[in-house]
Amino acid sequence: MKKSKRLLAAVLAAVIACAGLTACAGGSKSSTAAESGAASAADTSKSRAQDTLIYAQGADPRGLDPALVDDGESAKIMVNIYEGLLKYDKDSTKVLPSLAESWDVSDDGLTYTFHLKKGVKFQDGTDFNAEAVKFNIDRQLAPNVTEDMGYAGFVFGSVKDVEAVDENTVKINMKAACTPFLNNLAMCLGAPMVSPKALKDNNNNVNEHPVGTGPYKFVSWTKGQNVVLTRNDEYWGDKALTKNVIFKFIKDNSARVVALSNGEADMIDGIDATVVSQIESAGNKIYEAPGMNINYLAYNTTKAPFTDAKVRAAVSQAINVPELVKSLYQGYADPATSVLPTFMEGYDESIKQVAFDQAAAKSALAAAGVKTIHMITYTNPRPYNTANGQALAEAIQGYLRNAGVEATIDAYDWTTYKEKVKAGDYDVCFYGWTGDNGDPDNFMNLMADKDPTMNVARYDNADFKAMIAKGLATKAGDERNKIYTDLEKKAAEEAVWLPISHGKTLCGYRSNVKDFYYHMTGVVFLSGVSKS
Amino acid sequence: MFKYIVKRILMLIPVLLGVSVIVFLIMRVFSPDPAPIVLGQHATVEAANAWRAANGLDAPLYIQFFNFIKGAVTGDLGTSYYTKTPVTQEIFSRFPATIELALAAIIFASLFGIIIGVVSAVKKNSFFDHAGMVLALIGVSMPIFWLGILLIILFAGVWHILPSGGRIDPLLQPMAASGFYLIDTLAIGDTEAFVDVLRHLILPALALGMYSMAIITRMTRSSMLETLNQDYIRTARAKGVSEGKVISHHALRNAMIPVTTVIGLQLGSLLGGAVLTETVFSWPGIGNYTVECILKSDFPVVQGVVLLIACIFVLINLVVDVVYAFIDPRIKFSKKEG
Repeated sequence: MKKSKRLLAAVLAAVIACAGLTACAGGSKSSTAAESGAASAADTSKSRAQDTLIYAQGADPRGLDPALVDDGESAKIMVNIYEGLLKYDKDSTKVLPSLAESWDVSDDGLTYTFHLKKGVKFQDGTDFNAEAVKFNIDRQLAPNVTEDMGYAGFVFGSVKDVEAVDENTVKINMKAACTPFLNNLAMCLGAPMVSPKALKDNNNNVNEHPVGTGPYKFVSWTKGQNVVLTRNDEYWGDKALTKNVIFKFIKDNSARVVALSNGEADMIDGIDATVVSQIESAGNKIYEAPGMNINYLAYNTTKAPFTDAKVRAAVSQAINVPELVKSLYQGYADPATSVLPTFMEGYDESIKQVAFDQAAAKSALAAAGVKTIHMITYTNPRPYNTANGQALAEAIQGYLRNAGVEATIDAYDWTTYKEKVKAGDYDVCFYGWTGDNGDPDNFMNLMADKDPTMNVARYDNADFKAMIAKGLATKAGDERNKIYTDLEKKAAEEAVWLPISHGKTLCGYRSNVKDFYYHMTGVVFLSGVSKS
Repeated sequence: MFKYIVKRILMLIPVLLGVSVIVFLIMRVFSPDPAPIVLGQHATVEAANAWRAANGLDAPLYIQFFNFIKGAVTGDLGTSYYTKTPVTQEIFSRFPATIELALAAIIFASLFGIIIGVVSAVKKNSFFDHAGMVLALIGVSMPIFWLGILLIILFAGVWHILPSGGRIDPLLQPMAASGFYLIDTLAIGDTEAFVDVLRHLILPALALGMYSMAIITRMTRSSMLETLNQDYIRTARAKGVSEGKVISHHALRNAMIPVTTVIGLQLGSLLGGAVLTETVFSWPGIGNYTVECILKSDFPVVQGVVLLIACIFVLINLVVDVVYAFIDPRIKFSKKEG
């Protein structure tokens, strides 16, 4: 038929045009996805499904080289491929041995000696040893470090040099005593050990060719679609229970929920309170993970009347934090009584913020002559504030009105907001922090930092800073933890911030998935997870 | 014809130059500084300055633009700031997905659009006509993201008969060859995987193609009505030609000229990436990726993709003109017209 020929010609012409376009753009390129192993003839998709965990997250990893990335989507995948010298405990951010069996710290805190586990191999068959550790750290120290190694300065900034004493002993010499260094070594960014051979073979960038010592090894990454991992059968410790893991990228939150109930994913994260009932009514389970974060209101301590601790305390006193948190986050965030999350060392139950007392607040603010407060906030949801900054500010505004104070609110998108915070023209601002290394200094330094986009309260107190410095230099243990408890109490007494909440992370998983858990540092270790 | 094609391809040069100037200026003037995004929350001012210098962002704008053009002419679109991967590699690992979806959508839209349009025109003012026009109106009016979510909830969430997103079950994913999964799965003879790819294409192609189908339906209907009122149609009927032949051979063929233009334009825009559909259906194409790169101030990727899309659009128009010659032999692009 002539008609069908014409239609066919049109379609073919379109296809030819597409082929021509690739040439026009500079030559056809093959896909970047690594070659997947072909499934054996005996395999069926059903048995493969039984042997495979599918984890759906919201985006592609930025890359899979722990020195070159700074995002959570990369971290969740990397922790299954790599390990560091140390690791975090399961239910806290206390550090435990990992690739290092034990370690010694010199009395002056300037020398760390790590005793490495013997017989460990990278997934490419090369030995994990002291030279490998030195190689990994040296590449993130001057003069080798590059400016796009986002966490090199944070993790290894206090390191002077590294010596491989013998095959299984590494000595790390510090520029100054810095106890958070131990927590740094347990991090999933910067700290994990990469195969030196893989780094040399890939021009010092293993974003697409990750090789570590972990329970899973990398198979392929199809951009925008998935990363496939398979069990490392030569793993030095407990072998992974499930043979394959696939990290699938489903950007839309609603679509991820449907994928879970449709069986296209076994586990999902990045959900919020509104879909919990939908997930549970489909027969799936919810996991609530504590978050290593703090959502807070900060006073501008450089601007009258908030230079006065009493005035700050009076405003805090006007706000019923537990009631506000329950209303705003529906049980999926915990009211904060401290800056530090409760699972972190340095936290103690004795830490208390000023108690809610509207009448007392009202009279104190009237006496101080405070009639209006200017608040700035952000319009987006944040990991520590899923309700968004505008809603939070409006809730606070209501409490302040009840205490006789009129609050004005200016809201900006996050990027613009950061510029406004830097400019400093506010009485009160809303901010939050997601921790990096599980060390209390990582949180408390936010009130001592010289950078006003970190220390958004602009708090400048010599005693506080002296205690921060002491905490850095004191060895891990009860004495050090007490320093941070004391810092918390001083911050509460001074009412530098009003801590509001610690946000939880919600995940969903199918009922046939066993032992799923999401770590408070924002990663998932899948080697202990299985399907029935 | 050949001379005409050459001339049109040469016209591509000023078009691309204009497009690249516009996108370059928009990205540089309106986008936030990429350094904090690339380097993360712990970056020092010194590191940010060093990074800008390493990526040429400390040079005057005209030098940056010149370097961009120089690279583009030789096929080097630079490296993504965020992932440190060459831009061409990033684009071509995702573009097959966009092409496959765009073609599926345009095939769906064309087939159904033309059929509904013809039926509406032939049975003017009947129930079929009104139903067709209502369907077209719905297609034009309904937002893609809402239609997409609705389709996902119904077919995947409630009835569980189609996948909710992605291109293929990862357990069936073929080794990367062309990146076109329909072709790759056929090539390795994996029927199960081929069927799975088709199943994954259904919902996004439906959601994406609905708007185009509506446009094509309305164009086909109005073009057919105009054609059916021509004298030669009356003559054909007077000769005793069957109604089916009158419609398919005489009327539709002529009506297809403006419809072909619309199909070409729709295909061009689909190949530029369907951001919302790709987001909702987790389709790993180029449109969604580009939006993410805009938000990350990843200049090289955005500039590279926009340049590519401009190429596509211009060349699609050329293909449409060439297809005219097949549909209507009288269109020859003679020397006089050239």
